[in-house]
Amino acid sequence: MKRWLFIAAVLANLGFAQTEKLKACFIYVGPVGDYGWTNAHDEGRRLAEKALPWLETKFVESVPEAQAGPFIDKFVQEGCKVIFTTSFGFMDGTLEAAKKYPDVIFAHASGFKRAPNMATYMADFYQIYYLNGLVAGALTKSGKIGYVGAFPIPELKRHISAFALGIREVNPQASVNVKWINAWYDPAKASEATEALIAEGNDIFAFTEDSPSVIQTAAKKKLMSFSHYSPMHKFAPDYVVSGQLVHWDKIYIDFLTKVHNGTYTNKNLEKVDYWWLLGEKAVEMGGQAGMPINPKYIPALKAKMVKDRLTGKTVSVYDLVMSRWKAMAQAKPTFDPFTGPIKDRNGVVRVAPGKIMSIGELNSMEWAAPGIVGAWPNEPK
Amino acid sequence: MEEIFSALARAMAFGTPILLAALGEVVVERAGVVNLGVEGMMAVGALAAFAAAQTSGNPFLGVVAGVLAGGIAASAHAFVSVNLRANQFVSGLALTMLGLGLSGLLGNKYVGAPLEHPLAETGFTWAAVVLSIVIWLVLYFTRTGLVVRSVGENPAAADALGLEVYLVRYGATIFGGMMAGLAGAFLSLAYRPSWSDGMTSGLGWIAVALTIFVAWESIRAVFGAFFFGLLYHLAFRLQGRLPSEMLLALPYLLVIVVLTLAALRRRQGNAPEGLGLPYERGTR
Repeated sequence: MKRWLFIAAVLANLGFAQTEKLKACFIYVGPVGDYGWTNAHDEGRRLAEKALPWLETKFVESVPEAQAGPFIDKFVQEGCKVIFTTSFGFMDGTLEAAKKYPDVIFAHASGFKRAPNMATYMADFYQIYYLNGLVAGALTKSGKIGYVGAFPIPELKRHISAFALGIREVNPQASVNVKWINAWYDPAKASEATEALIAEGNDIFAFTEDSPSVIQTAAKKKLMSFSHYSPMHKFAPDYVVSGQLVHWDKIYIDFLTKVHNGTYTNKNLEKVDYWWLLGEKAVEMGGQAGMPINPKYIPALKAKMVKDRLTGKTVSVYDLVMSRWKAMAQAKPTFDPFTGPIKDRNGVVRVAPGKIMSIGELNSMEWAAPGIVGAWPNEPK
Repeated sequence: MEEIFSALARAMAFGTPILLAALGEVVVERAGVVNLGVEGMMAVGALAAFAAAQTSGNPFLGVVAGVLAGGIAASAHAFVSVNLRANQFVSGLALTMLGLGLSGLLGNKYVGAPLEHPLAETGFTWAAVVLSIVIWLVLYFTRTGLVVRSVGENPAAADALGLEVYLVRYGATIFGGMMAGLAGAFLSLAYRPSWSDGMTSGLGWIAVALTIFVAWESIRAVFGAFFFGLLYHLAFRLQGRLPSEMLLALPYLLVIVVLTLAALRRRQGNAPEGLGLPYERGTR
């Protein structure tokens, strides 16, 4: 009898040791079914949990930006060792919590404030927007490309400018016409803004909004579009040309592994800032994984010849996109869309010849690249 | 000229869900019941329509499902406000929250799926216009309309005359829910053709305000709804020339102005006398 008890105790102990996992908790700003930002973070969380057997995760969705504090308190009480806050607006709340709970590790997405136990991380699309721009510039017939934007903030201004730089590189006369909807998620506004852009003669569309409304509205009129954030190819398989995809799991797995093996502690995160791009495979070009450009449009892109401004050779737009993509998709990119000289749309030099914009400059960018038409709040004169 | 036509076409498309829901609310309020649950019933209708159309492959079955779902949601409000005589405003608000929450929860698996056979927007628009005329004719030129109006104006007198006050209020409320469900079906089968959580984005509230704005007249609701639709469309067309925030806020500003004007008058214009008051037999 005693022996059995002993064995049972040992077994129980073993079981306990095995279930002692690293607990990582996520605070989301939107619903996990939003088909955009929060959905992508949740996908990353699930993939990380699948890949890391020692990981246990929890999440809470639709947390108002000003109310991160109470949810963090709750997570800490429940024993979370790593807490991810996934919206810009959680920044100050996360910093306060980091001071309050020095033993917990925090990571905040898309912000710029850090602490010894608080890192920041971001997967950015500007390289992909530039590549999408090359494609759009080659495919537009009217020379007018529509963009439905959520809010006029530096992130979107950077993306639209990169998009415009790509468009103008293959189509110097083309324009990007921007409409703002002042919402991250509003299918009705996104559809109506697209309708307005269609009425004004735009024939290809890109957007920042967490639903496939722009794609669906354009497809109803048989017009092309670029997918945003989540794989939206399936909403209009004939009309989605390409797009931008994110893989937050790459960042989550890297970060959590380094926490697990002791590289990152609650003392050394002051300088940990992930700014992951194509090279790190945190982002991908395409309307669905593994399909950078819809095969339906490849012949047209191969038929369109342009001069590569870097090599001076005449190449097809398809080859141009692929060579630029290769140059940017390495660990040390040999090309950056924001390499000077670049003037803004008012003719002011914003990037000096030979200079490349720094992460800080990209994060606070307010000017508009040439070819952009439409309201542009806070535009520097 | 072409610009004007395209703007008008968009105004009508966007005004359609507002009009459909507002027509329902006109009838409900004419019978003396306030239902603030339009937004929730619309969401439930949109989900039911989409789910039925997607699984069966027949969009018309989707329309039927949307209408039925809206009616069922409304019967909950009818039970609480007619039988239990609870506060109609609270019950309606609860219905909105319940409808939005429930549709979000149940609709999770439909998020992201495109609808294979969408319906045309114009069919709904014309149906809405025809319905507004039919409702006007019924309200003013038939016995049924007279009964509905008398129940809304003075339920006690109507009851004394032998009219079935509870039954009429039930019927009107369920009809209102069916119209809100139809508006939801328009959104998920024609306007967007897809489902996502929160896709009604406040249209139900505009419909409630529109009901007051047009003084409970179904024909005026047509112009009111298309006017709101036009403002909404122009907010995007005139961007760059006028601040878009201002144009986007205009419909809501108008709602506030209208409600203020209505409240300043002692007797609210055309408002049915018994509006929002639960009726209990034997009390005054």
